[in-house]
Amino acid sequence: MASSVSPQQDEVLVEANSFARTLTLNRPKQLNALSFQMISRLLELFLAYEEDPNVKLVIVKGKGRAFCAGGDVAAVVRDIRADCWKAGANFFLKEFTLNYLMATYSKPQVSILNGIVMGGGAGASVHGRFRVATENSVFAMPETALGLFPDVGASYFLSRLPGFFGEYVGLTGSRLDGAEMLACGLATHFVPSAKLPMLEAALCDVDSSDPAIISSIIDQYCEQPSLNEQSVYNRLDVIDRCFSQKTVEEILSALEREVVHRMDGWISATIQTLKKASPTSLKISLRSIRKGRLQGVGPCLVREYRMVCHVMRGEVSKDFFEGCRALLLDKDKNPKWEPSKLELIADGTVDCYFSKVNNEDWEDLKLPTRSKFNLPPFAIAKL
Amino acid sequence: MDRAFQRSKILTNHLLQSSASSPARIRSLSSNACLNYTPPEFSENYAFDIKEMRKLLDRHNVEERDWLFGMMRQSKVFNPRVRGGKVFVSPDYNQSMEQQREMTLKRIEYLLERGVFKGWLTENGEEAEMRKFACFEVLSIFDHSLATKLGVHFFLWGGAIQFFGTKHHHDKWLKDTENLSIRCCFAMTELGHGSNVRGIETVTTYDSNTGEFVISTPCESAQKYWIGGAANHATHTIAFSQLNINGTSQGVHAFIVQIRDADGNVCPNIRIADCGHKIGLNGVDNGRIWFDNVRVPRENLLNSVADVSPDGKYLSSIKDPDQRFAAFMAPLTGGRVNIAVSAVYQAKVGLAIAIRYALTRRAFSLKPNEPEVLLLDYPSHQRRLLPLIAKIYAMSFAANYMKMLYVKRTPQSNKTIHVVSSSFKATFTWNNMQILQECREACGGQGLKTENRVGHLKGEYDVQSTFEGDNHVLMQQVSKALLAEYVAAQKRNKAFKGLGLEHMNKPCPIIPSQLTSTTLRCSQFQMDALCLRERDLLNRFVAEVSQLKSKGESEEHAFIMSYELAEDLGRAFSDRAIFQTFVEAEATLAAGSLKDVLGILRSLYALICIEDVAFLQYGYLSVDNATAVRREITKICSELRPHAFALVSSFGIPDAFLSPIAFDWIDANSWSSV
Repeated sequence: MASSVSPQQDEVLVEANSFARTLTLNRPKQLNALSFQMISRLLELFLAYEEDPNVKLVIVKGKGRAFCAGGDVAAVVRDIRADCWKAGANFFLKEFTLNYLMATYSKPQVSILNGIVMGGGAGASVHGRFRVATENSVFAMPETALGLFPDVGASYFLSRLPGFFGEYVGLTGSRLDGAEMLACGLATHFVPSAKLPMLEAALCDVDSSDPAIISSIIDQYCEQPSLNEQSVYNRLDVIDRCFSQKTVEEILSALEREVVHRMDGWISATIQTLKKASPTSLKISLRSIRKGRLQGVGPCLVREYRMVCHVMRGEVSKDFFEGCRALLLDKDKNPKWEPSKLELIADGTVDCYFSKVNNEDWEDLKLPTRSKFNLPPFAIAKL
Repeated sequence: MDRAFQRSKILTNHLLQSSASSPARIRSLSSNACLNYTPPEFSENYAFDIKEMRKLLDRHNVEERDWLFGMMRQSKVFNPRVRGGKVFVSPDYNQSMEQQREMTLKRIEYLLERGVFKGWLTENGEEAEMRKFACFEVLSIFDHSLATKLGVHFFLWGGAIQFFGTKHHHDKWLKDTENLSIRCCFAMTELGHGSNVRGIETVTTYDSNTGEFVISTPCESAQKYWIGGAANHATHTIAFSQLNINGTSQGVHAFIVQIRDADGNVCPNIRIADCGHKIGLNGVDNGRIWFDNVRVPRENLLNSVADVSPDGKYLSSIKDPDQRFAAFMAPLTGGRVNIAVSAVYQAKVGLAIAIRYALTRRAFSLKPNEPEVLLLDYPSHQRRLLPLIAKIYAMSFAANYMKMLYVKRTPQSNKTIHVVSSSFKATFTWNNMQILQECREACGGQGLKTENRVGHLKGEYDVQSTFEGDNHVLMQQVSKALLAEYVAAQKRNKAFKGLGLEHMNKPCPIIPSQLTSTTLRCSQFQMDALCLRERDLLNRFVAEVSQLKSKGESEEHAFIMSYELAEDLGRAFSDRAIFQTFVEAEATLAAGSLKDVLGILRSLYALICIEDVAFLQYGYLSVDNATAVRREITKICSELRPHAFALVSSFGIPDAFLSPIAFDWIDANSWSSV
């Protein structure tokens, strides 16, 4: 590898083994939260590997107990405070471009999710062809608690989970374990962490990009995990009934109706979680997931980029800054959302987040052209 | 450049395949077909904002529509199947008739549970009605059986209760209907009488001793026929019957009759049989009903127009039986509006599939070793499909106009609604069948596979030209109504007002002797040409009918004899009325890419109307001018070719509701998917 390694490049470790490249997210203290530099580096590497006939497979993993805990939003907020919202927008522009590239990648990406996978970490893995969960996996899209919304293309992949599980996961930020990830399709395989070194070694010997071959290699280390009896995945009937409702208000009242029928700790907790989240976030998240269900991954990211720019700009609501203050900076865990109630948010306000940003030299997200590559059906189906 | 790339790719594949040695390699290369699927998303681009275009086409409740699409896509009940890595929802038409019927019912129950029908009968006002329209359009995109079964329950039964019934009927039935605690049908058609409702033979008398009506089927031709929902599921029906009071027939009236108990057992004195397997729409349980002196309480007469007192006196504020009948039939226009609109959406499904396929499927090379030509790059293929886009856009604008007319209805606008909905229903449903047939053929053999939808939909939608009024009968009614307008205007020596006939008051438009491209694309010329045909045909129709009458023929017979002119006139009215809505929609837009492309489509729509044989037959166009029209159509088609993808993407139909050939049809058919 290159001899003059800058400290930033150290945040992504690169290992080359014949036809496989292993990229390790290396910011363990920050749970591998994606910095702007890491995203830029990943983008650069993925672009280069696509052109390189000697690369057939890309493995992505994390150092330490996390795969990746998300985008480094604390840094984003700092940048916005110091500079302007566009500095934040630039972060997401790069990140979403990376997400798109991964979703439509012409070579298989295997992500080893041996630990925390949240927000931006999900974006850097779920779009790829193979996602390997372990007994250590913890998945969540916690954005609504932070005044944001599930971005990084989550409106694409959440909306494609069985039934209305995606709405549930996206609105409540509920945590899923490896077995649940496999059951709902966020993960494609489950491998006990003890077997990971062997799996990685086997993958490094692969000389093919054929997904069937790679899948069969992973299969050799797979185990069928059993769902915890308390698993939310066993509550799909309730989730479908409630989270299919038209509006957040109706979802809440459907949940409340369920509690009337029988006392249920899980439902009450779900209601509490929703009540604690930013009302604006809930509304735009629901709308985004619903729209995502009917769109390809590209249009999903373009829409999310519009939304995230509105959030960064803070003209409609400043909940994101309040959420970061309360959860990441002051850590008082007591955000004061504004507007404070769902009923106070008109449809027109929600519409704003989906409109173009009215600012000179702002542009919609321009996704890289993918037509020059011979994309596999897996990628084509997402367009 | 693209072609060179394509060619090199094919060559590379050949070379790689011949040099493959290790087993792993063979496996990886065997899935690497010679032809690659290139998604139209890569080769085509959008010259205008397709979201804005969709808003213009769908016009209302876009969020609501998408919610409902998503609701269906996410449920097992809607039979999702994965093809080519994508999920498609569509009923399993390979199921038996009985299974299809049960699935239709299951889907209705699923939608009910999710609150889709909330307010469909208990809320009023424009907004609620538009929402209902939007949901219905979306449901019909999934399956015509689903839409039809719901249409019968909500719009025919529900509409009859709302419009023919009075307060106590509303209080008693609407809520139960909305939450489907009763399942309802609508028994109007008989074996012997369909479009001619006034001729039905079912008879009802009143028994003042018990305060009951007695309904009976006096002969086999009086059996109720094609009653959707009657064969298996319905618990209640509205029976249309002649009402005979003390030996005097008071004409057709409507009665509520329970036909099954809550457990599904057929009630006493009711006989029900199945209509059997049909060429399509097998998810609807059409049945036949015989009434054997069925007794129903006096309140079961839907009495908004006429009533019978407890002691058996017939009471009606409308003395003229003709008017009474018209008042009865007025609510049926709602169903007609629905049918017309859903025909447009079905045509959208067919065309979106055919265009997407034509943008990815190649056939024949022009020179050896050259890549084959994309179907839509053949001018002939463009000529077959692109005018259909123009037709669909025109129909969408017309449908929006008709829906607004309907939800803003007043007693004064009833006639206009009747004429417009009759003519649009006939035109749209005929167009739909024509479009689906063309799309089926344009998809070649793939069009024959049920899972690809285009071909199968023909069978599912064929019924549209018959139910709620045979198309030809409706078109004749349109011409009759126009004739009546003409006679009324002449009699009172007044100007034409309404039905868009105001152009009759102006001097007759003149077609230039030599049509240039500029003239042909001018909306004023296009409007003039369409008005000229309507005006002239109306004059001719009036003259022919009055000439026949002067020879001693009855008016009815004169109409029957003038059927050719009547049909030509009906079409002329329809084309002109549709065109007008197109011009109006275009006028609402500010200058820009959206307006530009709509201008091209508007011209194409006008010119395919002007291509109609009537323009030559009646001499509105010279042979030279007719040639110029054709030449211009070809030219416009090639101009529209780059917009084809954006134009069908603007229909806003989610991928899951199209079909496998609209996407990666190579992967969908690959060995690994077998």
